Amino acid sequence: MLIAHLDPLASSIFSLMAIASLVLAFVMLGSRWLNNYLYAFAAESWMIAVLSAVVGYYGEYPEFYLVAILTAFFRGLFLPYLVWRIIRRLNVAREIHEILQPSSALVVGAFCVIFALVVAYKVGGSLGLAGTVAVLALTVMLSMNLIGFLMLAVRHEALSQILGLLVLENGIFLGAQILVPGMPLFIEIVILFDLLIVVACFGVLVQYLVVHVGSTSSLELKRLVG
Amino acid sequence: MMRDIILQACQVLTVLIFAPLLQGVILQFEERVQQAQGPGIFQPYRDLWKLFHKQIVVPQTASWIYWIAPFVAFTAMLTVPFLLPVLTDFPLPLSDMGDILGGGLILTLGSFMIVLAGLDSGSAYGGIGSSRAVMLGILAEPTLIVVFVGITLLAKAMLPFVVNHLLVANPSVYWSPAHLFLIAAFFVLLVVETDRVPIHSSTHIEIYMIEEARILEYSGPLLALLKWASMMKQFILYTIFSNVLLLPWGLSQKGEALGIVGSIAALAAKFLVVAIAVVFTETAQSRLRFYRYQELLAASFVFAVLAIIGTQLS
Repeated sequence: MLIAHLDPLASSIFSLMAIASLVLAFVMLGSRWLNNYLYAFAAESWMIAVLSAVVGYYGEYPEFYLVAILTAFFRGLFLPYLVWRIIRRLNVAREIHEILQPSSALVVGAFCVIFALVVAYKVGGSLGLAGTVAVLALTVMLSMNLIGFLMLAVRHEALSQILGLLVLENGIFLGAQILVPGMPLFIEIVILFDLLIVVACFGVLVQYLVVHVGSTSSLELKRLVG
Repeated sequence: MMRDIILQACQVLTVLIFAPLLQGVILQFEERVQQAQGPGIFQPYRDLWKLFHKQIVVPQTASWIYWIAPFVAFTAMLTVPFLLPVLTDFPLPLSDMGDILGGGLILTLGSFMIVLAGLDSGSAYGGIGSSRAVMLGILAEPTLIVVFVGITLLAKAMLPFVVNHLLVANPSVYWSPAHLFLIAAFFVLLVVETDRVPIHSSTHIEIYMIEEARILEYSGPLLALLKWASMMKQFILYTIFSNVLLLPWGLSQKGEALGIVGSIAALAAKFLVVAIAVVFTETAQSRLRFYRYQELLAASFVFAVLAIIGTQLS
């Protein structure tokens, strides 16, 4: 296993990258403007791409360089571009009706991180990985998932929901890279195409909302059948 | 032993004497950023001198709290430097009176008395100032506690001297994410506690004043004491930020006279760096609505929590 015997430099680089992506998740959680939200997501994806390149370098997995390029291209450029196109067409610049203020959301997110840390401690301890970068990776993964769910719960602009979903997925991907770096390339490509489909579906949903409901807030979706 | 006692007195005197200078430098920088001439860096000394020669006017509604608050605040600020590495990086006599939490307690006692005095004076402005200060305090305190917990986890101790030695000795700890996040979180607290959040103006008589509103009813020597106490609080917080967290180098290690002079010079250089950063944060952006103060503190809280996460690795 890679994480059990890492040299200190590698583990500090890993932790820096992981924490930097967590900070970017918080930037997304705290931003009011959809554009900032999107830029933070793109930056986070680039951070994860660099992380996979570093994991590939230290763990000697040559296929990870390809994963890094795919991640940077797909998550860092292509998906943000698609979402940006939707934003541009919609004239929705910001979240208008907030369920939770950005600052309160930040604090709730911080508590999610504490919860994730406790869980990661238990899991890491029972696996005999306490004190390694694995605990950090688990914490970051779990807290990015919780933050993603939080975004899905407290924002109801349809675009924010796409981004929340993407953050959730980024978190899983980040954790998987550090914890189980032997993941086959094939699965990675499948996941990327899944994401593409998610964004495309949401694009259709947003169009539907605009045409039939006249707004892009998912709160307007009240009826089960059209 | 005698030398250590003299050094401890020097620490307190440094805080007492140079606090107005720091305030003057910051105000002068702010004026220069706004392309104004500025009153010069020695203006706070002249203000204090003027106030000490004025008459005291007391509101009719004021009780004894109004009288003791300036003295308690001033004494509290004279006590805290005992606990801190202001000039030397080794503990001096009486520095074992309390740890970081103890210092925080005494600092808070000073602000607490000023809040009470603001309410006691019976004026509407005092009430507004006190309620705003308490609101900010309620939000800043938990973050402060989390920062202290982060420091404790990082250094396995709550004494500022231990933290200082650890950071000087281990560059890997200095550059660890935990420490960098602690710096970020504490910087926000520093800006909030020294009343330089870009949500209001620190100049006198303005609608968004916080600290100034609490002492609006004071005059003469009492006002001078309160102003001096708030300048000393700023100096103390700058000391904690730069000597314990941000720039732990350049303190006297042996306690000789030359070293003390050198560490005062180093302190001036460090404070200049921090002051420029603070002035930049305060003036670079446009003023925000008052009710956005909590976003800043929420971000600070997040940084502190992330720092704790970071300490779990090392």
